[in-house]
Amino acid sequence: MGFLKGVEDMIDLDCLEQVEGTKGDHEVVLFALSTCPHCRHARDFLDANDVAYKYVYLDSLKGDEQKRVLLESEKYNPNHTFPTLVIDDGDVVIGFREDQYKEKLL
Amino acid sequence: MTAAEGKKVDCTLLLEQLKQDAEAGGYSLNPDPDFAFELAQGIATNIERYGYPLCPCRLTGGSKEADLDIICPCDYRDPDLDEFDTCY
Repeated sequence: MGFLKGVEDMIDLDCLEQVEGTKGDHEVVLFALSTCPHCRHARDFLDANDVAYKYVYLDSLKGDEQKRVLLESEKYNPNHTFPTLVIDDGDVVIGFREDQYKEKLL
Repeated sequence: MTAAEGKKVDCTLLLEQLKQDAEAGGYSLNPDPDFAFELAQGIATNIERYGYPLCPCRLTGGSKEADLDIICPCDYRDPDLDEFDTCY
């Protein structure tokens, strides 16, 4: 994943919602869908563990903005599945894998 | 607009239908009833939005034709079950 700029590359996506948390050791972005229960569980985990992160519900976006964010998420998960979690320089967890979330974030 | 699009979907009925369809094919829904209901809610939202049961964990390509592979149960169910023990 070294060829990707990771989260730094996404900072200017103004549709990302910021969630504050005391655990801010990592830059974390969650690509999610509002209809997806796995995505809700991913957010529940991040919230319960007080992790600072940014997220976006792609199904809530329209037109060019949705395309722009989808192109960004595609860099990390070309299969367009959700949730897709991106950490720091492009470390990616596809799906809500609680063991991997714990290992990488806590 | 299709006949289903925009109409309120009964999640309890939909969940029962999903359960029957899954079991008829030798599958089972997630054993967590809350999770299974959330799944049904996501599919219900997509039926109301698009008129067909788009997978709640996949993003529409903009038309039913573009979404044929991601209508529940989608083409990626079995590979996902093999890899993750659940579908995404």
